[in-house]
Amino acid sequence: MNYPMDLKYSKSHEWVKVEGDITIIGISDFAQDALGDVVFVNLPQEGDNVTAGEPFGDVESVKAVSDLVCPVSGVVCAINEELMDSPEMLNSDPYGAWIIKVEAVTETEELLDAAAYEAFCAEEG
Amino acid sequence: MSELKRTALYDAHVAAGGTMVDFGGWEMPIQYPKGIVTEHLNTRKNCGIFDVSHMGRLLVEGPDRIAFLQKVLTSNVASLKMNRAQYCIIPNETGGAIDDAYLYMFEEDRLLLVVNASNTDKDLAYFDTVIGNYNCTITNMTARTASIAVQGPKSTEMLRILSGQEFITDDARNSLNILQMEGHTVWVSKTGYTGEPLGYELFVTAEDAEWLWNRLIELGGMPTGLGARDTLRLEACLPLYGHEMGVDPDEREIPIFAVPLSRFAVSFAEEKGDFVGKEALLKQSEAVKRISNKDYSDMDILPMRIAAIALKDRGVMRAGMPIYHNREMVGWLTSGTMVPYYNFEGEGEGAVQLETTGKRAIGMAYINSDIPVGEIVEVDIRGRYLEAVTVSCHMRNNKPPYAQPVLSK
Repeated sequence: MNYPMDLKYSKSHEWVKVEGDITIIGISDFAQDALGDVVFVNLPQEGDNVTAGEPFGDVESVKAVSDLVCPVSGVVCAINEELMDSPEMLNSDPYGAWIIKVEAVTETEELLDAAAYEAFCAEEG
Repeated sequence: MSELKRTALYDAHVAAGGTMVDFGGWEMPIQYPKGIVTEHLNTRKNCGIFDVSHMGRLLVEGPDRIAFLQKVLTSNVASLKMNRAQYCIIPNETGGAIDDAYLYMFEEDRLLLVVNASNTDKDLAYFDTVIGNYNCTITNMTARTASIAVQGPKSTEMLRILSGQEFITDDARNSLNILQMEGHTVWVSKTGYTGEPLGYELFVTAEDAEWLWNRLIELGGMPTGLGARDTLRLEACLPLYGHEMGVDPDEREIPIFAVPLSRFAVSFAEEKGDFVGKEALLKQSEAVKRISNKDYSDMDILPMRIAAIALKDRGVMRAGMPIYHNREMVGWLTSGTMVPYYNFEGEGEGAVQLETTGKRAIGMAYINSDIPVGEIVEVDIRGRYLEAVTVSCHMRNNKPPYAQPVLSK
């Protein structure tokens, strides 16, 4: 399992990367492995408000559906439209396949660094 | 909680990296590291091997075995010939299903009945209440034996190599044979739960399970878990007890004839005589005839039926989601997910399986019987109302060796 050092992680298994005013969000390697084959992603639209701790979309695997929980509050400024046609990118390249970008961020959940997140995942098994 | 049961292949699944889950009281692999999509596609292109040893294998012996089975099954057991199998349902008095099953005649003097894993104890308890009037016995062979399904275009060739014989079974589905393979006795049935035109279910002793499993892998079979088994059977529109059979989400009994496949499982032949639920099933059979003639005058007996459904919008349908037609709720999804498929060039005879793949959101639904095939409905997918269409099938398998997807327009 891969936990890049340059990212932060939420306890609901999203990764977060801050680039200037923009917060980029995806799902972790642990999350994609637990989901299994991802077959569909439900994304918000550009301009939608998102709230820290609340769902902003969902990921469907063959087995089940899981909410995507937003680690920050703000406004969606970009969605990864490639995921509409190739949701399996979340399995093959979870840290390359970002899901949304958020701007005007007003609030951020408490996030874990890579080491703490790895320990958290080990506990979840 | 009681301890989970394990098949003779448990260690092999763990060694192969199988994700083990509780399935009907058995610890079974839902998938292996390659994942459900790869396992599904491989079965359609090459060959998937499935441990189905958790299913209940019951041996019925004794002079009254035929009479007993005629009473408790829907099929005409007397018409079953040597080296043939038949699909059947275990009905209750009101025309609902206690279980669905397969009956095999490998030997003249005894019959093998294979039932769903999670229903085995229930079925045995029920049979106990009826068998007292008959001179025959039921022996539960589940623990002593193992069963491996070998499904897909390359399955026949693999069994030819293992047996050193050209002839495996007759070409017809439901044909049986007993073969020697590398010094082991293997009971071979040309049946399966994937919709593959070429596919077999093999029965061996529990001791022979690992040998057979490992040899099938060496010959190119890919271990395939219960996840892909479910997507494959869904694509083939094969019913699953607890979804398309049993009771609906409101806990009301689903009539046996609500399932289209049941017409192959129920016989009213004279030689079958009286059987459990016959009166109710006759009424259901008449209702099916009326409905298929678009006569919707009397919908009390069979108000709803199981139908195939394909999503037109982007999304995924899941079991339990409500279905609407003209803003009125008309039923539920009974099974649904996104399944992968191979593209084909051409159709039917001469169609060529391509390397490219796609995926589609399909399902089966329990919906009002007056909704015909081709009707647009709406599925409530967690608050979003998406368009879907009722279809006659999701796949065709009448041109071996490949099953070909039928994509909705």
